[in-house]
Amino acid sequence: MRRYLRLWLTFLKANLLLELEYRANMIAGAALGVFWAGVSFVSVAVFYTQTETIGGWNYAQALVVLGLFVITQGVISALLYPNLQRVVEMVREGTMDFVLIKPADAQFLATLRFARYSSLVDLTAGALVILFALQQMRYSPSWSALLTFVATALAGLLTLYGIWASMAALAFWFVKIENLSELFQSLFETARFPVSAYSGVVRFVLTFVLPIAFLTTVPAQAIIGALDTPLLVAAVGIAALALAVSRWLWRRALRNYTSASS
Amino acid sequence: MRHWLRMYGALLRMGWSTVMEYRAQIVIWMTNSLLMVTMMLVWLGISSAGPVNGYTSADFVAYFMIGWVVRNLTAVWVSWELDYRIREGKLSPMLLRPMHPIHHDIAFHWAEKGLRSVIVLPIAALVLLLTPNAPLKLDVPTLLAFTVSLFMAWAIKFMIDFSLGVLAFWLSQASAFFEVFYGLTLVLTGAIAPLAMFPEAIQQALWWSPFPYMLSFPVEIALGRITGEALTLGLGVQAAWALLCTAVAALMWRLALRSYTAVGA
Repeated sequence: MRRYLRLWLTFLKANLLLELEYRANMIAGAALGVFWAGVSFVSVAVFYTQTETIGGWNYAQALVVLGLFVITQGVISALLYPNLQRVVEMVREGTMDFVLIKPADAQFLATLRFARYSSLVDLTAGALVILFALQQMRYSPSWSALLTFVATALAGLLTLYGIWASMAALAFWFVKIENLSELFQSLFETARFPVSAYSGVVRFVLTFVLPIAFLTTVPAQAIIGALDTPLLVAAVGIAALALAVSRWLWRRALRNYTSASS
Repeated sequence: MRHWLRMYGALLRMGWSTVMEYRAQIVIWMTNSLLMVTMMLVWLGISSAGPVNGYTSADFVAYFMIGWVVRNLTAVWVSWELDYRIREGKLSPMLLRPMHPIHHDIAFHWAEKGLRSVIVLPIAALVLLLTPNAPLKLDVPTLLAFTVSLFMAWAIKFMIDFSLGVLAFWLSQASAFFEVFYGLTLVLTGAIAPLAMFPEAIQQALWWSPFPYMLSFPVEIALGRITGEALTLGLGVQAAWALLCTAVAALMWRLALRSYTAVGA
């Protein structure tokens, strides 16, 4: 475990050095991060010029969800998307072999090797939105609210990782998996609103079929102190399930892998 | 004239076979426009309690379904295409052809719209048929005005995107501008909310910009919200924007070619 943590930190350092080589690229990426956070903000704010609540959530509460949405998008573009892109490339070109011969876990090496630092801007922007929202509510969360928030947010991140690692594993069979990630991004757009903003069927799908509600709505409920225990348990359960599925898919993928060409 | 017809005939055939080759990819790109469906669902949640600024639930469905059609049929990506060609040195062979490369891109965009229409139009028609009291103006003059306006909406977007793509001749990070333009078309054209939902001052300001003419204007024509004198005037303003954007694109292209030195052999 300590060995993997050290490896990961080494990767992060290597990525930082690499990214600093392309300064203009980094600055453009950071500026775009701020821009997209602004776009997301406007797309929620415009609804509140016409109404007091959406699905029972007032403006400040919905901003917490929005902040989590911006953070999650930042995590996707910082940690998940760069690796998925590389996995697809490596499977297509046969360079995955070089990952497999290294003396460390293949899933770890393939899904956590790369990072994009300019997306840290998204994380900061999202955190600021949440702090602003809490300040608007004149509300400071209790210790238990903070604790469940950390637990559900962590569970959300692990669920997200599980989904992306599973998509990466599918690349071994279908190669062009970028399409699937594009589809995920389109569906994930729904997470900028509390899940109760949607009616019956859509809400059900977003909660139980695609666990998008657990990425933003549930942690937001936790920090506001409006989360019931069953949802907390469900969040942890779904995270465990997503991780297990990704593990299982990677095992099967590697067993069937015969490399490209030659 | 015959020369143009033959040229576009050949280009469209070429474009169509490329579209067919990448059809799965195109359908995936189309899922981007699901954002509008998301927005519709949230507006429907709000309007279930009563009309919002003159929009009932049926109005929202009609607005977003027509808007979804318009957004799909005005999708542009020519800037990315230019950026790629300039960086990879693929522009030079196109410059050798006895025609302006923009015709290649226009024809490919239109061919792609063929595929998008086949998917989008039946879905939108079905949803609108199933929506009681969907407010649509379906007489011939309105349909004609809508079609003209839809074409001009595409032209404005295409020419702005083309002009931004030309920036790649000078800038290595030009794609940041393409992305900002894309983001602005989401927020300012009426794709996330009918413009009537924005504060009055912002609405006023927006109608002085080209953005409403890329989506909101054709959609509101189809809904019968823009008629008579306002319609004639609006079409005039839209045509002026289309011409202005075309002129800018032509000018930028000229300036760029003067400074262009090909990459590679």
